[in-house]
Amino acid sequence: MRYETSFRLNGTPVSVSVEPSRTLLHVLREDLGMTGTKEGCTDSECGACMVLLDGEPLNACSYLAVQADGREVTTVEGLSAPDGSLSALQRAFLAHGGVQCGFCTPGMLISATALLARDPDPAEETVRAALSGNLCRCTGYQGIVQAVRSAAAEIREG
Amino acid sequence: MAVVELPSFVRQDGREKVTGTARYSADLSTPGLLHAAVRLGGVAHARIRGIETARARALPGVVAIVTQADVPDLRYGTWVRDRTLFASDAIRWEGEIVAMVAATTEAIAREAAALIELDLEPLPPVVDLEAAIAPGAPLVHPGWAAYDGDARIPREGNVGSRHTIVKGDAEAALAGAPVVVRERYVADGSHALPIEPRAITAEWQGDRVTIQTSSQVPYLARTHVASTLGMPEGKVRVIVPHLGGGFGGKCEGHFEPHVAALARIARRPVRLAFDRREEFLAPDHHRERMVIDLATGVDHDGTILARSARILIDNGAYGADEPYLAQLAAVFAVGPYRIPAVATESLVVYTTTQPTGSVRGPVAPQVTWAVEQHMDVVAERLGIDPLELRRRNILVEGDEGPVRQRIGANGAKTALERAAEMIGWGRPLPADEAIGIATGWWPSFPGPSGAVVKLNADGSGTIVTGAQECGTGSVMALPILAAEVLGMRPEEFTLLYQDTDAGGWDAGASGSQTTFNNGRAVVSAATELRERLLALAAERLEANPADLELTDGVARVKGSPEAAIPIAELAAEAQGGRLLIADGSGDPPAVPEVDAGGCVGRLGGESFAAPCYFTQAVRVRVDRATGVVRVLEVAAAHESGTIVNPIGAEGQVLGGIVMGIGQALTEGTQLTPDGRQRNADMLDYKLVTAADAPPMRVEFVQVPDPNAGPRGLKGVAEPPAVPTPGAIANAIARAAGTRIRLLPMTAERVWADLADVEAGR
Amino acid sequence: MSRYLAPAGLEEALVALAGGARPVAGGTDLVVGVRQGRFPIPDDLVAIHRLAGFRGIAEGADGGLVIGAGTSHAEIVAHPRVTRDWTGLADASAIVGSPATRATGTLGGNVANASPAADTVAPLLCADAVIVCRSTAGERRLPLDGFATAPRRTLLRPDELIVAVELPAPAPGSASCYVRLEHRRQMEIAIVGAGALLRLEGGRVTAARVAMTALAPTVRRVPEAERILLGSDGGAAAVTAAAEAVAAAATPIDDTRASAAYRRAMAAVVTRRAIGGALARARGETVTIPASDTLFGAA
Repeated sequence: MRYETSFRLNGTPVSVSVEPSRTLLHVLREDLGMTGTKEGCTDSECGACMVLLDGEPLNACSYLAVQADGREVTTVEGLSAPDGSLSALQRAFLAHGGVQCGFCTPGMLISATALLARDPDPAEETVRAALSGNLCRCTGYQGIVQAVRSAAAEIREG
Repeated sequence: MAVVELPSFVRQDGREKVTGTARYSADLSTPGLLHAAVRLGGVAHARIRGIETARARALPGVVAIVTQADVPDLRYGTWVRDRTLFASDAIRWEGEIVAMVAATTEAIAREAAALIELDLEPLPPVVDLEAAIAPGAPLVHPGWAAYDGDARIPREGNVGSRHTIVKGDAEAALAGAPVVVRERYVADGSHALPIEPRAITAEWQGDRVTIQTSSQVPYLARTHVASTLGMPEGKVRVIVPHLGGGFGGKCEGHFEPHVAALARIARRPVRLAFDRREEFLAPDHHRERMVIDLATGVDHDGTILARSARILIDNGAYGADEPYLAQLAAVFAVGPYRIPAVATESLVVYTTTQPTGSVRGPVAPQVTWAVEQHMDVVAERLGIDPLELRRRNILVEGDEGPVRQRIGANGAKTALERAAEMIGWGRPLPADEAIGIATGWWPSFPGPSGAVVKLNADGSGTIVTGAQECGTGSVMALPILAAEVLGMRPEEFTLLYQDTDAGGWDAGASGSQTTFNNGRAVVSAATELRERLLALAAERLEANPADLELTDGVARVKGSPEAAIPIAELAAEAQGGRLLIADGSGDPPAVPEVDAGGCVGRLGGESFAAPCYFTQAVRVRVDRATGVVRVLEVAAAHESGTIVNPIGAEGQVLGGIVMGIGQALTEGTQLTPDGRQRNADMLDYKLVTAADAPPMRVEFVQVPDPNAGPRGLKGVAEPPAVPTPGAIANAIARAAGTRIRLLPMTAERVWADLADVEAGR
Repeated sequence: MSRYLAPAGLEEALVALAGGARPVAGGTDLVVGVRQGRFPIPDDLVAIHRLAGFRGIAEGADGGLVIGAGTSHAEIVAHPRVTRDWTGLADASAIVGSPATRATGTLGGNVANASPAADTVAPLLCADAVIVCRSTAGERRLPLDGFATAPRRTLLRPDELIVAVELPAPAPGSASCYVRLEHRRQMEIAIVGAGALLRLEGGRVTAARVAMTALAPTVRRVPEAERILLGSDGGAAAVTAAAEAVAAAATPIDDTRASAAYRRAMAAVVTRRAIGGALARARGETVTIPASDTLFGAA
């Protein structure tokens, strides 16, 4: 049996017919063409699949798509402005060497976006804890942490 | 020598990566696509009596199944041809692929793969390295003698290859040395573990196949497909979309031929996408388990007189690049030290475990972890400061290396001293904290590589390269080199890369060789293009080409800036005649002359061309009650020749250190007694998280080296992972008062050692 | 093929449960469990994340707390009464899984799952938590102590839903702490953990609760340790003896995460730290949440 599941995806209403056993990750990638969200472990361990659900970070690999009904889902594709200009975080990730292979980047940006929404001036320790569910094998995290703090400063200073 | 400030360099692939528009292998789709699933052996060692696929074939949605019976009966292997695409006579490790299924959905493919029935006769597992080479040990390859292989490699039974470095009479020197330290170190294996599990799509059009794959080495993958499926390379096109990291785990050909064969049978495009467990178990590039025995003879003043070493290296079930790496291991056992008498032996040992092969700085972290701890033990025995012991023995210009090569100007000693200064060597610390230091070296790998540079009509440039970008940014930095030659800006160049039908041959993202070799190719192509531009400009300016220069986007007469033509104008003009396009490869730099007459199993690795030298110092805190170690701070000083892209180079060091911390503390592959992995998941195979990664400081020491690559650069990516485990080990030993000779140095192992110390054992 | 219902009202959800549906809130354990083959996807799912009144923390009339079963770990650790009066629960809620797990995962799910490694259960046991269960037949209030009967088995009936966890008011002079062995600072599952609650009056321990995590088939209290502490001065000798009692009561397993011997030894260490943390807090000292990190390297 399939269920009509409707939610706002990056600000736009979408509606998909899904079987209850399917994960939000697979529906995003396979039915809605949002391949920016990655599959790394299907075990909530790596964070490559992270999206925002009503503003909170979520491992989409471990979440049933039907449960997104009526809610607000943001993927990496929804982080830049409609005109294509990059968010402060996206720019800072590039400027501080926060991107190498890029596979963890979407999830990392999602976690960082959620963090800055609730804490405009996070201490380094806070940033590190908030990103701890997103594994990166390339950067050693230092450039990413610097990027988040630099973007926070930029946003604060308007 | 200079310390580099970091200007920011925004990578060309950055925007697509931060917006989610970058497509990786598993993101691609094509009409008619079928999904593949693998059937792995599941046991470490068994004879295959039969493979029954009837039930799997009967499952609705299954389109094709491929086993060894469906592909050419060809053996392959880098140095020894010891395997076939699919297991057919025996399973030699749990992750060995037996069959692959194509179906309309991934779920059906996986269900069908599980329905394939294997009739197996158990064979004795071969796991322990010492036991594997003991007389009478069961053979992993009973037919090994009949395998074709490189004639330079001595092999016998489970010893897949044997390599030595011999200089002087080490045995006599050890016998005569006033102080001799003998020790054993044992390292577990570990995984490359890129965050992207590999995915491969194959599509046939006529007799040509296009394969989109997450490979670090597209040209080697192409050769692998062509040679195993018996077809010409020109009929195989390998494209790598964005690659989500490799770290060596995606080197060499892997499953490209399997998917191509399956797609040919299915007559439809097929995609294989590994899940995380498969990404742990099935690749044939696992970091080596090792048993390392070291002996060092030293004078009372700390002068090293002799070093002997015997290293057992796990080859796993089938050979990849271990014979070459074993030769490197023999050199690492000597270390970047002046040692007059050397005798090292490395044995590559077949076992019924996952095949090993290049993982970021292969063999070096384990051997350096052992050697650098050993150096500290020698220092303790002599009552000399460990930093001072290294300072007295480290290689300086004019010294003789392990195979009597002449050591050129280098930054080894400066890096050693800088790392110590940066961390504050010798400063007072709380009782549960300590600083450790480790030094090391890593060679460059000169080789062929190709690139094309062309100018478009609007004056922008395009670089078509065979080089592979695995995330490090090495391909992204190529425009810097071209721009410099052509007097343009890096952002004026776009890149076409990772398509074997487009670029010139390249060895791929392995051996930290991209900028070293492909950078040379780009400089060579750009230099040729420069000559053409200057010739065009000379006609227009009525000047001698030798009097012209390219700078700031114009061709102009040297010394008279007013006599200038924009490069864009020349490019537009060329559209009406001979196009501005040039290819390049360049001659690889020479390798040092060596005297390696007494060495066995020489494959070229002993020459150690243009080495990088580096030292890392770490401060750790040890929780004595639990054995948990936290790395609080790292200082890294690296001599990697000229630094072309500082932010990229720094990123390599930072990432390498954190990978090294994982290998040091939490990342060991745990095996059952019969050789299966116990922790093939990311909960129990623990990567370092952002919360555990320490603050790090990086400095580059720059020294000109005549054997280096273009502009005097060397590889950057692998060295950072090499010294980290050794530096952490030495810090733990000082903080805990006990030395951990097992890698990884897990909390439980540290605790067990401390408990032994407390119990007086 | 499975069916799915997402009601906004509790009664509708309970009717679905009575009809054989399985509840799903955050869904992490369900999805991962199905994928790992631990159980099949249930035929019938009833989503409970939208239930009114299911999420949130309310103050009880007696000074206690009523935590809706759908409250996330992040919400719990952000609540000022929890951090002040149920500090051990805050220690645990702050370290469950990852930041995303803490945003999605619920207290009810952690309790219902009955994992021997569930972090929140030890501090809830120390707090004398009561589990409020509802079905179409009515409400049952069960003490958490004894609620889990075996790994992934509880007293909850198939038609029942955990709707809330009640915490009675803490006694004056009492404080709690939860400590987990962590090989990484984040993203850990308990290899060993311990919770403690102690009441100090005039320099004497007048109430004691000690519970251990991942050291037995269920998270459970250790009465032997509590008896040692009760009436003592909370000094080093009593703390060490209580910690040893936990180690002795533990029935640790040998697996890829740790040997049984290491687990047993660590049982004593984390218990010592949890008791020490609770005592310090009872004396008015600050032990920063989460205590596991703060007490790294402590005796």
